[in-house]
Amino acid sequence: MSQTTAAGGPSAAARHIRVTVNGVAHEALVEPRTTLADFLRGDLGLGGTHLGCEHGVCGACTVLLEGRTVRGCLMLAVQADGRSLTTIEGLGREGALHPIQQAFVEEHGLQCGFCTPGFVMSVHELLELHPDPSDEEIREHLGGNLCRCTGYKAILRSVRLAARRLREARTSGTMPPERA
Amino acid sequence: MKPPVFEYAAPHSVAEAAGLLAASDGEAKVLAGGQSLMPLLAMRLARPSLLVDLGRIPELDYVREDGGEIAIGAMTTKTSVERSALVRAKQPLFHAATQLIGHPQIRNRGTVGGSMAQADPAAEYPAAALALGATLRIARPGGERSVAAADFFLSALTTALESGEVLTEVRIPKLAPGTGWSVQEVSRRHGDFAIAGTAVTLSVEGGRIAASRIVLFGVAPAPLRVASGEAALAGQRPGPEAWGLAAEKARAAAEEPLSDAHASAEYRRHLAGVLVARALAEAATRAGGKA
Amino acid sequence: MSKGIPRSIAELPTSKVRYVGERVPRIEDPMLVSGRAEFIDNAALPGMLHCAILRSPLAHARILRIDTRRTEAHPGVFAVVTGEDARATTAPLATIPDGWGVHCLAVGKVRFVGEPVAAVAATSRYVAEDALELLDVEYEPLPPLVDAFEACQPGAPLLLEDKGTNVVLHRKFTWGDVERAFREAEHSVTEKFRWNRLGANPMETFGVIAQWDPVEGTLTCRGSYQTQGYMALGVSAVLQIPAHKIRMISHPHGGSFGGKGGTRGTCIAAMLSRKAGGRPVKWIEDRMEYLIGGAGQAWDRHYEASLACKRDGTLTGLRVTLLDDLGGTPEGAGAISAAKPLTSFTGCYTIPVAEYDLTLVLTNKLPTGPYRGMGPPPHNWVLEHLVDRAARELGLDPAEIRRRNFIPKDRFPYEIPTGNEYDSGDYAAALDRVLEMSHYRRLREEQAKARAEGRLVGLGLVSTIEPGVFDWNAYAIVGVPMIGVPEGVSISIDLFGKIVAKVGFSLEGQGQYTVAAQVLADYFGVEMGDVRVVPQDSLAAPPHFGPGGSRLGVALTGALLGAAERLKVKLVRAAAHLMRCEPAALELKDGKLQIPGVPGAEMPVAQVAAVMLTRSDLLPPDLEPSPEATYVWTAPGRTPADENGRAKSYLTAANACHLVRVEIDRETGEVKIDGYWIADDCGVRLNPANVEGMIQGGVAQGVGAALLEEYAYDEQGQALTSTFMDYLIPTISDVPQPETAAIVTPSPFTPLGAKGVGEGAMHTTPAAVMCAINDALAPLGLRATETPASPQRLWKLLRTVSPNR
Repeated sequence: MSQTTAAGGPSAAARHIRVTVNGVAHEALVEPRTTLADFLRGDLGLGGTHLGCEHGVCGACTVLLEGRTVRGCLMLAVQADGRSLTTIEGLGREGALHPIQQAFVEEHGLQCGFCTPGFVMSVHELLELHPDPSDEEIREHLGGNLCRCTGYKAILRSVRLAARRLREARTSGTMPPERA
Repeated sequence: MKPPVFEYAAPHSVAEAAGLLAASDGEAKVLAGGQSLMPLLAMRLARPSLLVDLGRIPELDYVREDGGEIAIGAMTTKTSVERSALVRAKQPLFHAATQLIGHPQIRNRGTVGGSMAQADPAAEYPAAALALGATLRIARPGGERSVAAADFFLSALTTALESGEVLTEVRIPKLAPGTGWSVQEVSRRHGDFAIAGTAVTLSVEGGRIAASRIVLFGVAPAPLRVASGEAALAGQRPGPEAWGLAAEKARAAAEEPLSDAHASAEYRRHLAGVLVARALAEAATRAGGKA
Repeated sequence: MSKGIPRSIAELPTSKVRYVGERVPRIEDPMLVSGRAEFIDNAALPGMLHCAILRSPLAHARILRIDTRRTEAHPGVFAVVTGEDARATTAPLATIPDGWGVHCLAVGKVRFVGEPVAAVAATSRYVAEDALELLDVEYEPLPPLVDAFEACQPGAPLLLEDKGTNVVLHRKFTWGDVERAFREAEHSVTEKFRWNRLGANPMETFGVIAQWDPVEGTLTCRGSYQTQGYMALGVSAVLQIPAHKIRMISHPHGGSFGGKGGTRGTCIAAMLSRKAGGRPVKWIEDRMEYLIGGAGQAWDRHYEASLACKRDGTLTGLRVTLLDDLGGTPEGAGAISAAKPLTSFTGCYTIPVAEYDLTLVLTNKLPTGPYRGMGPPPHNWVLEHLVDRAARELGLDPAEIRRRNFIPKDRFPYEIPTGNEYDSGDYAAALDRVLEMSHYRRLREEQAKARAEGRLVGLGLVSTIEPGVFDWNAYAIVGVPMIGVPEGVSISIDLFGKIVAKVGFSLEGQGQYTVAAQVLADYFGVEMGDVRVVPQDSLAAPPHFGPGGSRLGVALTGALLGAAERLKVKLVRAAAHLMRCEPAALELKDGKLQIPGVPGAEMPVAQVAAVMLTRSDLLPPDLEPSPEATYVWTAPGRTPADENGRAKSYLTAANACHLVRVEIDRETGEVKIDGYWIADDCGVRLNPANVEGMIQGGVAQGVGAALLEEYAYDEQGQALTSTFMDYLIPTISDVPQPETAAIVTPSPFTPLGAKGVGEGAMHTTPAAVMCAINDALAPLGLRATETPASPQRLWKLLRTVSPNR
């Protein structure tokens, strides 16, 4: 059967997949070669997952698969069949940024903002694993996210602030909205 | 950078996977974690007719103690290995090697079996497997076989896996009590593939080196065991002199290292010596008490 | 009454400055952290096709034949273009200097690996790449030329046969009696340097959606344009369409650093759109294309330089010979990078005479383009290295030799030998601050101890100028005839007192929209949230340039304040009429037009604007009922260059002093940075957090330049760095987190006293790290004179003194 998807062209065997993205269930036909990042961006219109290198080095396309960070360019959409994903669009809600996003704003943790969604997703995982991370743990977890603008100093500050805010939110029972 | 057209299958059992591979035209490829394969597809350097995705075979994802060894399913992610208390306690070298691989986002997807089967000359896992005397279990239509690491890694990106075969498990002996170990590498940035690296183990009895294992990576098409260095160490007193001797053997063993934009063959050979000496010193410290 | 554009924050019409000069959060950021910004690859148009470009696999070859039939027949393909289309319908690309251009798709032969040869528009990028594989191109290899020295020799293979040479420009500029300075020098040092190619690599590559209108004969291009209006001129020249028929729409872009220039991509997409009957065509440069064929390689340089001095360390003359390898053509403005060092040729010092022997040559490599700093970073390294060497040989501390030669703070404005004028500065203050912060003496003591243990520990202390507020006249010596770079802004106030500022550039990362909101909010007494900055396309915006040359913060502030002053005059006239007083009696303060000293005699700006928009019957009959104004700012006082290139070019001279500590692993050649201190003076800081971001980002790119980043080619001209596995962008673990301090000497020439700082530490960090490495190597008598100082390079050097290591 022939089907046009993000890959857009003729394929011998488009596949039917079901994924839940940011809490919303989607069904789609995809060519096997369609990358997860292209599927999210092209088929689902979730453009916050950016493509910086398409070979797994820059980290701009980082998303959460069942809560764990993965590179959207190093997975096929078909591999996500039956799974749950969170993208940058799944954090925060209208008028209220997620505390991680808010911390990046307050600490000037971004300049051009192209790498930022990937960083935010990696920080999200980091702070689940290490609610009070050391700078070394921050470096280790963000080593696979490249930023060409900030020189990382303000990103480190942002992560420290986000960690504090999330710890406070956990204590006070005011965890931010997320659509996983 | 978009992959070329290929067919895709996601079998639910090893037998089904082996059957699909055996029935293919020889141009089929196994998709494990995809962290090496996906870039090759995006660059259109890999052009499989069919991808056989092992990601839907849950029976390949485990880390367990089995007959005195640590058995790791081929589809176990590096993150799972990294977090395994068993691996950390019983085979710290493998744990340390895991942490040198890429970044968390890569380790979340990349699998043990994938790294072994990819057999990148600069990769940590093949060298660790060889240094630790690991065994690789392979399923094939109608049966299975086991291959020692020493016989598995043949050359750059080439292993003993034949078409129609699926790597299912890596079995690693536990580190013997009193054995010191070290894995060290030089890379341009943290998380990059190594320019050169080494994995060593060492045991000392009565103030003399009783046994050692020295494996280099990044300097030859496949992980390279420096048997001459191991022989030279036997019976020596641990110390700079012995390490220097082993380093010299390591340099000699690295006959024709790779040469690329980041490192000449000569520099890689030199690093092999430096790293072996450093790793042995660290291993000796670990052997001497604190593991 | 209007006093002109405020020269200091205190002159703003507010009794309490709330925003300008404060670390306010950026108004751009909520959209960016949410992933909602419309980067070009997020945009789509109905019927849009996707382009893929076939690139030359060879460095130098004749194209014998291109067969497009199988490609054209591939399902989903709508158009294919080759060099033949380019030859038939376009002009060669513009170059600097003029007249060395080739077509956007190779005609007849290819001159570098990665040169576009053909392109396809298809229903998806996947299909377009499938179709590219069906193109059949036959090449006849020609001898590749990759060595710049060889390229200068008679008889070398020629890139452009009709030129008869590969040397694009060779000139020697002499400012003062340099011969005599060196003849009479009590001491002099000479060194050869190699700065290898590196480049911008913004995290987003270049992208464009071009749409040809076959009925109107117009072209609309949406893209990640750093300078949309300037790009429109280049595209107009190539496509032979009048510029007013080209609309360029700059989208928010993921950084640029100069590395998104070049008109090739836009022109190719436009040709495809035309051939596809006017369907929009999107081309997103992928990272491998960017690395081998993009606008991201810069500064492939061979230097030989000498510094003359007295025994007491007084610097008396500087000679620099530069052979700059421009690659395949001078289309990427690489030539102007060689000219920019004139803006700050003698650095922070009172060196009275100088000489620049400049050769620009072509080789079979990617044409070089702009990159953050635009040329001075390598020059600064050369100068600072020579100063250090002189100090070492004269037995002076690096701090001392610099202090003795600094331009004294009471001699500004100061004209350097190349004719440029520095506006203000206090270089000794910055140096002292760094020495104090770092406990410099203690660092030297620790270094002595480490050296005694055989460790290679080094301290690099450098002082540099960041020329700011670029002007074209700086590039007169490579054939650029222009003076003045316009930046225009239109501001308007609506019925409710809300303010809209229309600008000719999009988001790029420097936080300029925030600066605009800060300035207007304080000027008109509103909240920052009451100001909206709206980008206009190239036809709608007032004359504009956009970010580049550490200029936009200053230029934008000038344009905003110029427009605000103009708008104030209108508001005052309207208010005076309404309040039945003389305009001269009114002043604007805290958002009100008021008669000073008369309580209650006031009208809020919002009210005046509302009356203007709704009750023209109440206005003076000759007053235009429009609460809006436009102002186009250019740097004042710029001069045409004389025959020796002397000109007042860049308006501001920021200063930075960096100190970095490194340790070299003697066995592996690896360098570890374990201390970093910065004192930076960029005049008044409009948003200190933005400034710190510019500086720290420059540190990261500078560390990349000194230690990691290099575009390598083999002897066949093959690009060896085609992925991010090989082109090494610094990670969070590679970049030091310096301790920083601000020195403020306001510029007397700029709005609010701010200086350009956008290129920031890129001017300083490479020199500082390289000087630290050389300080570490000094006891061994070794000097590292090639960038990046990779482990392998340093190991090779170390091996010359201890071969057994």
